[in-house]
Amino acid sequence: MHFIKRTIIAVAATAFIMSTAVAEEKTAKDHGPLVVINKNPYPSTYAPFPSVMTVIKNATVLTGTGVQLERAAVLMENGKIVAVGSDLVIPDSALVIDGSGKWVTPGIIDVHSHLGVYASPHHKSMSDGNEATRPVTADVWAEHSVWPQDPGFSRAIAGGVTAMQVLPGSANLIGGRGVTLKNVPSRTREGMKFPGAPYGLKMACGENPKRVYGKKGGPSTRMANMAGYRKAWIKARDYKNKWDSYARAYNAGEDAKAPTQDLELDTLLGVLEGEILIHNHCYRADEMVSMMNMAHEFNYKISTFHHAVESYKIADILAKENVCSAMWSDWWGFKLEAFDGVDENIPMVAQAGACAIVHSDDPTGIQRLNQEAAKAWADGKKVGIDITKAEAFTWLTLNAAKALGIDDKTGSLEAGKMADVVVWSGDPFSVYTLAEKVFIDGALLYDRNDPDTYWQSDFELGHNSKGAHQ
Amino acid sequence: MRNSILKITIAAAVSLMGNIALAQTLAIKGGTVHTIGKQGTLSNATILIEDGKIKAVGQNVIIPADAEIIDATGKIVVPGSMHSGSHLGLSEISMTKDSNEHDAKKSPFSAAFDVRYGLKSNSIVIADNRRHGLTHAITQPSLSDGVFYGSGAVISLTSGADMYFAKGPMIANFSKAGNRNVAWGKLRLILDQVKYYDKNRSRIMKGEWPGDFLLSSFNMAALVPVLKAAQKLVLMVDSEDDIRQAVALKQDYGLDLVISGAVEGWKVAGELVAAKIPVIIDPQANLPENFGKVAATYRNAALLAAAGVKFAISPGGMAANHNAFMVNQVAGLAVAHGLDWDRALQAITLSPAQIFGIDKSFGSLEKGKIANIVLWDGDPLEVTSNVTHVIVNGVNHSMISRRTLLRDRYLGLHKEPYAYH
Repeated sequence: MHFIKRTIIAVAATAFIMSTAVAEEKTAKDHGPLVVINKNPYPSTYAPFPSVMTVIKNATVLTGTGVQLERAAVLMENGKIVAVGSDLVIPDSALVIDGSGKWVTPGIIDVHSHLGVYASPHHKSMSDGNEATRPVTADVWAEHSVWPQDPGFSRAIAGGVTAMQVLPGSANLIGGRGVTLKNVPSRTREGMKFPGAPYGLKMACGENPKRVYGKKGGPSTRMANMAGYRKAWIKARDYKNKWDSYARAYNAGEDAKAPTQDLELDTLLGVLEGEILIHNHCYRADEMVSMMNMAHEFNYKISTFHHAVESYKIADILAKENVCSAMWSDWWGFKLEAFDGVDENIPMVAQAGACAIVHSDDPTGIQRLNQEAAKAWADGKKVGIDITKAEAFTWLTLNAAKALGIDDKTGSLEAGKMADVVVWSGDPFSVYTLAEKVFIDGALLYDRNDPDTYWQSDFELGHNSKGAHQ
Repeated sequence: MRNSILKITIAAAVSLMGNIALAQTLAIKGGTVHTIGKQGTLSNATILIEDGKIKAVGQNVIIPADAEIIDATGKIVVPGSMHSGSHLGLSEISMTKDSNEHDAKKSPFSAAFDVRYGLKSNSIVIADNRRHGLTHAITQPSLSDGVFYGSGAVISLTSGADMYFAKGPMIANFSKAGNRNVAWGKLRLILDQVKYYDKNRSRIMKGEWPGDFLLSSFNMAALVPVLKAAQKLVLMVDSEDDIRQAVALKQDYGLDLVISGAVEGWKVAGELVAAKIPVIIDPQANLPENFGKVAATYRNAALLAAAGVKFAISPGGMAANHNAFMVNQVAGLAVAHGLDWDRALQAITLSPAQIFGIDKSFGSLEKGKIANIVLWDGDPLEVTSNVTHVIVNGVNHSMISRRTLLRDRYLGLHKEPYAYH
């Protein structure tokens, strides 16, 4: 919880600074303006799509907070959830959707996607996810690779996905910033950026950096992986000290010179200051523990381990450290570090009281994350892990929102939150169930029964007919 | 009592270790049996198994006194699932070279590559896929430096020396063949040259040959059965144009052709029916991954079925090996997008057996067929259903795999000191 609080403060500070490149403040002694780095030079221009007051009634509702309501209603107005419950007073002017036989949930949030950075078509010229030229590239930002015309976004919304974090790949020890997007059609990256979401920073353990750099100057071993991260944090600590002493001197009225801005270190500094959240590709239990120890060494917080196929081995430690695990339901064995993956990983993590998330890392998997959660839920049940469907759905919603630092805005059906809502054709814990209607900020952005709502990216125009993929 | 527990423990241990699989007389009693055969679906039926084969299926089967009885009350009994293009038994770790017996890259082999020599019977991957309801598969090469990847194998997921059932199809794929003109040119030229090679073998052996064959003699020799339609050729293509070229190829050379991929198959369904070419599809494919897949759709299976194309369902990528058992889930996905449930179940059981010419032994629960049978606690295509029993070659296999052992070791993580024991 601690890190989320800090994030909110950081976001507020960012919003304050965003209007000019360098904020200027005059001091009494007039040494010129205090140099402050603009933390948000590419701000979100997202605005909710038009919506009408809508109520979905008589539905089975999973609130995203672990509660299941029967014959309940969800009321949305002005892009926000107004009320959820079984005895709502429904305003006459509301558009009424009969949810009989349907299930209603918060929109699915995928914390690990490469849509836009590894777009379809998968041609080399579109491969923009890994800056695999040096092991530490904290200076790159995934948003600057995102192609908003990736046809994958339209497939994802048909699977009920309303938001996602797009991350750089895992070639590098520190791979660069991730960006959280609203899953909306847009001409620009900025038009998709989730307003107020903190940045993520991708780090990677284990085999991938070793494989990529083993013959390119290293790291070639796991111990050199660790050395690589630590050297980077030491530089970041020095950078932080420089800025801190600059600010101190300036405020003391001295004629201080601001340090030179360093893009790479700006990002690492953001982590040390609690503004940027660590999303750490890490498979093995022993490596995850080393990464948590390193976070203590340099006094920062890890938000989430991604892939985390061995989280079940250290679920108690993850619970104690309050670190989330974003996992596949059953992928295993494609690498030696994934060889110990078990079908019950997700429920075992949840059972230990740690934060469990289902992620995709895949343009196909993102389209059926509900099925992946269902498999994990059923596998857990089989070995006596008693978790309700309502609790299991938090793996796709509120826990994912927590990991991204946006749980105060979305991830559950609670009054005041963004109306990111999915109406399912039935129980989402079934291979046969499909997302029928998807609302983002209260706007109906996908309706399986209304071809007018289907998205067709510029790339697809002339290639196929609207909605033909489904 | 103690005796029977001992027996179970030994059976489990033996099965886990592989190698020794004793054929039992088994009776699966009381389940709802989807035979996928003439008997259709039978409730409260019995399947009798002897010597690894199905001896009888029906509601009035007499169970011999010495038979081990599996109570299938409340269970759904179906033929074991088949994967139609896996790398099972050829790799314990897919993405590294450390455990890869499935490609002929940087070797003299292309068409002459044959996966049968590198099969690993006690594969962890095989045991785990069996636990999830997969009982047999085509396992095949993944790559070579040429158009032809070599021959696959039909395997049963037994974990024993009896895993090899028969030689499988020849695999061709254009991924390393150059652009489409080059690839089709190579493929046709190679087949022409194999024809010439086969006719003039003795002269060629004496050194009287043009000298510019695209393939070496041993790779050409491996293609002679393909040219004589004695071995099936699986061609991995996706675009409507490549599928049309494949139709022409079959006509020109009289091949026994199967198309794998066929992402745009629904657009040329009529041509596939007319040419009697069956296809193997992955119902997950709905992304325009390249210009040859812009018509990709979740409805491919439903549209192919409506047009009368013979097809099997098999997922690729991650689900070609460790997660090969996902055949059931993706068949369910096809149902969600318009395919009839019975056709979907067929597409992972009887249809692939027919497509690969092994339906005398596999694909349905009928007398005389190999007893590859799976018991489910619910709808076998549903993601929340679980397998309760798996019978392969008539053996009731243990549901323990390395992954369940790992799970069980950490399920009770309350024992201090926290360590592995």
